[in-house]
Amino acid sequence: MFVRVFRDLCRQTGYSNEHNVVRRCLHVTQQMEKNRDRRSFLASVPRIDEGTEGEKFVYIDSAITKKEDMFPDMNTSNMLFGGIKFSDIPICHIKSSKNNTILHVTKPSGERIMIRSCGMEGFKNTRKGTNIAAQATAIGLATRVLELGIHTVRVTIQGLGPGRMSSIKGLTMGGLKIISVTDDTPISWNPLRPRKQRKL
Amino acid sequence: MKHLKFISRTVLVRNENVDEACRILNRIMGSEGFLDQYRRTRYYEKPTQMRRRINYEKCKAVYDEDMKRKINFVLRKNRPEPFPGCY
Repeated sequence: MFVRVFRDLCRQTGYSNEHNVVRRCLHVTQQMEKNRDRRSFLASVPRIDEGTEGEKFVYIDSAITKKEDMFPDMNTSNMLFGGIKFSDIPICHIKSSKNNTILHVTKPSGERIMIRSCGMEGFKNTRKGTNIAAQATAIGLATRVLELGIHTVRVTIQGLGPGRMSSIKGLTMGGLKIISVTDDTPISWNPLRPRKQRKL
Repeated sequence: MKHLKFISRTVLVRNENVDEACRILNRIMGSEGFLDQYRRTRYYEKPTQMRRRINYEKCKAVYDEDMKRKINFVLRKNRPEPFPGCY
């Protein structure tokens, strides 16, 4: 800070070598530069991927298309997808948190068929909490599940994290057919007291 | 009442377009305030912070309403002179 004040003093008194220096008020300059530094710093930090693509912006082509048949009704559970009833199709539970992604394929009753997580896939520490790890895990899970003869799944997602969208993408890349996407995030309007805020 | 699973907060995938379904789901969750509430309840929000936030939201809502009315007024159609002040 002192260096900046000194530099500005030089500019004011004309000691600077540069000729085309804009003369600015010392105090204002300092305040503004501080503000600008913070703004540029924040701009340079990459935004955290929470897997909420489409939350703030609408894509034109999806805004135009009709959406009536995209939402389930009372008859949906009896609809047939590839010869199987909707309610009998296995479920893929995805729990994406800040530091990990867990994928869990179950029968409709809840019995486990297969579970994979980024940690099991060989990613360790901070690499677990990336969208690449989530996608690789999902592809691995999809190939294993296809060997068991499961081709279509329903997907439920829990939590916001880097694996929220990318794991679904990985499932489709692995060859599974997804017929529905459900958000299962536990949200409470009168929650228990959460942990205290982080000090930054 | 318990929300029925695979009825509430569910989007069916159409024409194998999974991305579109996810985007619509995110859009609905965001616009209903579910995601904001989820983010807010990760850490404890002190009462002062809550008051500040609610006051800010109130002010913003009033401003937005006025601004919306203003924009609608400027962009209104079927007026006698289509481009007032432009010759």
